[in-house]
Parts: sequence; C-alpha cells; structure tokens
Amino acid sequence: MSPIGPLVLAAFLFSAGVYGVIARRNAVLVLISVELMLNAVNINLVTFQNLLFPGDPAVTGQMFALFIIGVAAAEVGVGLAIVFNMFRNRASVDVDDADLMRW
Amino acid sequence: MDALLEYAWVVVALPLLSAVLITAVGKQLPGKGSEIGIAALGISWLLAIGIAWETFVNSPIEPLERAVDWSPLGGGFVFELGILVDGLTAVMLLLVTTVSFMVHIYSREYMKGEPRYTYFFAMLGLFTFSMLLLVVANNLLQAVIGWELVGLCSYLLIGFYWEGKSNQDAANKAFLTTKFGDVGLIVGVIVLSAGMFGLTDTPFNIIEINEAAFAGQLSTTTIVLGMLLIFLGCISKSGQMPLHVWLPDAMAGPTPVSALIHAATMVTAGIFLLARLFPVVAQSQAVMATIAIVGVITLFFGGLLALVQDDLKKILAYSTISQLGYMVAAIGVGGYAASIFHLFTHGFFKALLFLGAGSLIHAVHSNNISDMGGMARAMPHTFWTFIVGSLALAGFPLTAGFFSKEEVLAAGDIWAGAGFFTGSLVFWVGLAASFVTTFYMARAVFLIFAGESRSHHPPHESGKLMVGPLMLLAVLSIASGYLLTPMSPEAPNFETWLATPILDEEATFPFTGDGATEASPGTVTGDGVLAGAASPAPLAAAGEDGAVSILHGVPYWNLTKLAMVLVLFFSALFLAWRFYGKGLPERDPTLQMGGFSRALVNKYGFDDAGYRYIVVPVRDKLSAAATYSSNVLIDGVVAGVGRATKHAAVATYRVVDQQVIDGGIHGAAFSAAWWSEKLKRIQSGDVQKYAGVLVAGTILLVLAFAAAR
Repeated sequence: MSPIGPLVLAAFLFSAGVYGVIARRNAVLVLISVELMLNAVNINLVTFQNLLFPGDPAVTGQMFALFIIGVAAAEVGVGLAIVFNMFRNRASVDVDDADLMRW
Repeated sequence: MDALLEYAWVVVALPLLSAVLITAVGKQLPGKGSEIGIAALGISWLLAIGIAWETFVNSPIEPLERAVDWSPLGGGFVFELGILVDGLTAVMLLLVTTVSFMVHIYSREYMKGEPRYTYFFAMLGLFTFSMLLLVVANNLLQAVIGWELVGLCSYLLIGFYWEGKSNQDAANKAFLTTKFGDVGLIVGVIVLSAGMFGLTDTPFNIIEINEAAFAGQLSTTTIVLGMLLIFLGCISKSGQMPLHVWLPDAMAGPTPVSALIHAATMVTAGIFLLARLFPVVAQSQAVMATIAIVGVITLFFGGLLALVQDDLKKILAYSTISQLGYMVAAIGVGGYAASIFHLFTHGFFKALLFLGAGSLIHAVHSNNISDMGGMARAMPHTFWTFIVGSLALAGFPLTAGFFSKEEVLAAGDIWAGAGFFTGSLVFWVGLAASFVTTFYMARAVFLIFAGESRSHHPPHESGKLMVGPLMLLAVLSIASGYLLTPMSPEAPNFETWLATPILDEEATFPFTGDGATEASPGTVTGDGVLAGAASPAPLAAAGEDGAVSILHGVPYWNLTKLAMVLVLFFSALFLAWRFYGKGLPERDPTLQMGGFSRALVNKYGFDDAGYRYIVVPVRDKLSAAATYSSNVLIDGVVAGVGRATKHAAVATYRVVDQQVIDGGIHGAAFSAAWWSEKLKRIQSGDVQKYAGVLVAGTILLVLAFAAAR
C-alpha cells in the first residue's frame, strides 16, 4: 500500500499540533495539541516500519508507538494535574497568564 | 713528620672557639670565662710548640699548604681559604701563642675586679685568632681579613676603658691611622694579584706570587707599586714614622693588652707580611731602599722620643717603635732572617717588659716612673725579670736581644759591603740608636728600682699568676737568642728554619751594588758586627757575579765590633747612672737640652701637625664639604628624584588609572548593563513564544541541512 496517505495524515496532524501548541490559549487544548503531535509521530513510526522492513517479525516501530502511547498517557496525567492546580490557584487555564518566569 | 703540621688549623681555631664560648657562657663560670681562654690557649700553645719543633729540627722543610676553594670570584678565579705552614708560620705561631698564653694567665690576676672581665678575655681570644688567621694565611685576601680583624680587636681593646674620653680618642686615633695604611695594603694586594692574572687561577696565593716574582714573571711596575702600597699598610700597622703616632696613645688600653698587641704580636704583622712576601720585595732595589730608609728614621727618632717620657708604658711604646724600625730596616737591607729573628726575640722581651711594667703599675697605682723608685726591695721577682728584659732590649751580650739586634746590624754591614748606601746607614744609625736604647732603659730602671720609694702606696710583690709568666718570658728572653749565634750548627738554626724552597741558601738578589760590580767576582765580604753574618772569608754563598745571597749563614765573632758595642753599652749605662743613680734628679737632664728636648717633648710636632693639618682641615673643611655634599647635593638629587616620582605618579593616576583603566572597567560594566537591558526582553515568560521560536529554528535548520546537501 502507498505510504503517502498515512504520511500526509501524520504531517497534517503534526502541523495541527504545532499550531495548537503555539496559538491556543487554553492549557487543556495545548495538552491536546501535544497529544496530536505525539500521535503524528506514532503514525510515522508504524508507516516507516511497514515501508522499510515489511514482514519483519521484530516490529520495532509498532513497539515504539506503543511505548509513546504509554508515555503520553503518563504525560497527560502530569500535565492535567498541573493544569488543575493552575486553575485552582488563579481560576484560569490561560497559558498567557502563566508568565511568572520572566524578567 | 707532616702529621702535626696538618693540625695547624686547630691552633688557629681554638682561640676563636674560646672567644665564642666565653661570650656565650663565660659569665656563668666560676672563673668568669678566664679558664676557657687559658685552657684553649694552653692547648694551642702546646700544639704550636710541636709544630715549631717539627719544622725546626727538620728545617729547611717543604711548606705544607692546605686550602679549600672558598668562593669563585668569577672569570675562573678562585678565593681560597687555607693554611700555609712553613718555618716562618711556625715562628709566628710559637711567638703569638706563647705571648698570648702568658698574657691570659697574667690577666687572670691583673684584671681581677675590673669591669667587663669576661668581655676582656673574649676579646683576647678573638685577637689571638685574628693574628693567627693572618699568620697561617696561604693567600693575601685571607691575610687582609686577619689584618683587618686584628685592627678591629686593637680598637676594641685600646678603648677597653671606654668611660674615659681620652681612651676613646686613643682608640679612634689608632683605628683611623692604621685604617689609612690598610687602604694602601688592600690596593697593594690588588695590584700584586692583578699582575698574577693570566698566570694562575688563584691570583692571591702567596706561594705562587712569590714564585712568579722570583722567576721574573711580574712586571717591575707591579712589584714596585704593589709592594710600596703594601709597605704603606706596614708603616701604619707596625708603627713606622710618620704613622707611628697611634702606638704611644694605644697605651690607654689595659697593660696586658699593650704587651700582647702593641709590643709582641699585632704590630709585628706588617713585618711578618714583608717577610712573607720577601721574594717579591727582593726584586726591587727601590722598594728595599725605601723600606730601609723608613726603618732607619723610625729606629733612631722613635728611640729618642723615649728619653723624655715619664710614663713607663710610653717609654716602652717608643722603644717598641724603635725596635720595629730595626726589623723594617733589616728587611730593607736584605736581612730576611735577621728581621724575623729580631721580631721573635723582641716579642718575648717586650712582652716581659710590658708585663713587668703592669706588675709595677699594679703595685703603685701609677704609670709614671717619677712615682716609683726603690722598687727592687719590694718586688724582687719583678725586679730581676725586668732587668733581664731591659738587658735584652739594650742588647747586652749573650741575651736574646743582643744576638738578634747584632744580626740586624750585620745584615746592614753585609749590604754595605755589597755596595749599597742604605747598608751603612742601617749599621751606623742602628749602632747609635742602641746607645740611645741603653740610655733610656737604664734611666727607667734606675728611676724605678734604685733610690728611695716615691710611691703613695706601699708597693708589694704581685701574685704567682703574674710573676710566673714574667719568669718564663725572662727565660725565653735569653734562650730564644741561641737559635742563631756564632755557636749554632749549620743546620738546623733559625735561618734554615725560615728557609723556603724559594729562599734557599743559593737564592740571591737579582741586582748588585756598586761595590760588588767593582770588586773582583766572589769577594763580597760581609764584615759582620760582633756577630757578623757569613764567614770571615769571602761571603760563602755569594754568587760568581757578585750577587748578594739572601740567607747569610751562621754569624761569626768580630771582636773589634763587639768591643765597640760594649763601649757604647757601658758608656750609656755610666751616663744614666751619673744622672739617675741617686734617685730622681731635681731637673731631669733629658729635659734640659733646650730646643732638642722641646722637640722630643712635642714628639717632633707630629701630633700637633697631624691635628692642625689633618684633623682640623678634615673636621672643618672636609666634613663641612661632605655635609654640604650630603645635605645639599645628594639630598637634592634624592629629593628631586622623589618629587619627579611623585609627579609621574600623579600623572599616571590621572591618565592611566582614572581614564584608561577605570574607563575600560566602567565601559565594560555599562555595556553589559545596556546589552542586558536589551536582551532581557527575550525572556518574556510566554512559553508559546518560546515554542514558536523553537519550531522556526528547527525549520530553518532543516532547510539549511537540505540546502547543504
């Protein structure tokens, strides 16, 4: 099967993720955008595993994708906890307001 | 046989050790340090006797030289520190340690109760060390060091009673006068050694200098200039006219010091050095003539001064000057052995006379012979030892002074026989001066011992510690003369003792006198005095060409001249007895001779002239000029340099420090602040902005890598 479809999808997802991380103000949406980028990478890993090593019993790409899904879950857990604390402290989840680490 | 000679350095080191130990722990000891000094000198003395015996019985010996390289002088030249032991050294070691040992023992009683008793013994040790250092020196620099140390100790001991202003003045006078000659000595040593450059690595080595001079490797200029300058040092140190003025004043020191320093040892340093360098001296007729003439003037005029003195120590001081004149004159007329022989015997009998004088002064509490009189009964031991010393000094036959003085006169006679004018001068003036010597010693002896006592204190004999040294020295004052008499064997005798490989019996002077050239070869006769040198036949060792030999051989009796000397002796004795035999005359005849007496009392005006033409100008003109040059010229330069430095410093502060350095530092700080103000805006705290930049950067990098491929 042609890899174009999955690769285009991955590129689109990644770009959407980058856009979301840079442009969205809501911290929850920023986290979701990060998830988009991670999943774009997952698609790439699976795609290239099948493109470059078809039939290889050692499915390295898929394995990495699984790990990333696990790590992403943990990351989202931590990230949502931060967001939750942020909301409790200042009643807002706007990332533009979280600029205490500045000059 | 060299075994003992190797330990000559111990003789030198022990007195130094004694001085150090006495200084360190002397005050805590029961004898206040005197026992250390006496023990150290006793060991030194025994060792010196051993060394003297070894060198004497085996004479002539090969000199023993041991040296360490002390320090390189640069240019491949080396300063050695070492010992040179030959007959001359052994003679001096024996003389110095004997007199010093006797003086140590004597002082234990004489100085009892004096302030600074411990200090006195430490100084005696230091002085003895200095003199021995000079005596054993194998190079001239070491000799100069010893020479200067001797001068220093002399200064300290003359000024021993420093509470008195006159004693301080005497010490200063002695130090400055001898220092004047020391400058000559140092320059002379440099001149001599400069002539040795290129010949050897050790230009100060005495043996090498002597050998080079004898082999004719030194230029005449070097020899004449060097030896005349060194002789200037001898003039001041050995009390020759006109620099003798310090010696009578040096009697301000304690009497044992006068015996040790100003009679027996220190003042002989100059003569010792001339003898040590005799092979160099002998190269130049001009130098020898100068030495002889200075010696003749001193021996005669110095002796005359003793005639009018009332202070016993001053009488002895002037007689020392006169006897030193004999020694110097002997060097000047080729009497190498005669000079040292006279030095040797004179050391003993003059130490005896000074210690005897100390004993008398101790008894009557006065230095003046007009306060004595009739002392023979009260002080029998002092009396007979003093008589022995006086007879030896006056040259009464069969005493040590007789043999040595006649040896000097014989040297003059031989020199005259070889056709040198100075020889007859030394002979006849020396003979006349011996008349003077006899007269002033007879005057002193009659006034001290004969007649009634004029003392305010009842005199008493001194204790054992003072009389013992007197007796030993009295024995030596007779016995030491028998080392070289007409009865002596060919070898060993005093002359072979002093012989060195250079000055052996074949050595001759490189020049000849008028008489020798005119006479037929080999007929230079030394028609000796009573104990004239050489055989009555033509001079045994005279060369075929009429050259005069340096060593004269054993003397012989010459009854004509013996009779002459005896007549002079007894006529002087008779004259003195006529004047002084019945006690102190109302009017002392030596003071009744008009202008002559006035000249003597004024010491020929040397002291006044020295004060008026040297001390006063130096004090009023030179000191003022020096003060001016110091305060105005040198201080001006110093202050100017200071001011210039200050201005330079201020200018540097203003420009370099304030503007360049501070500007740089401030500029750096300001630019950092300015840039940080601009750059801090980057850290906005807006995480999304950071992410945007991150993405943009990544894209740029990817594009750049892509383009690079």
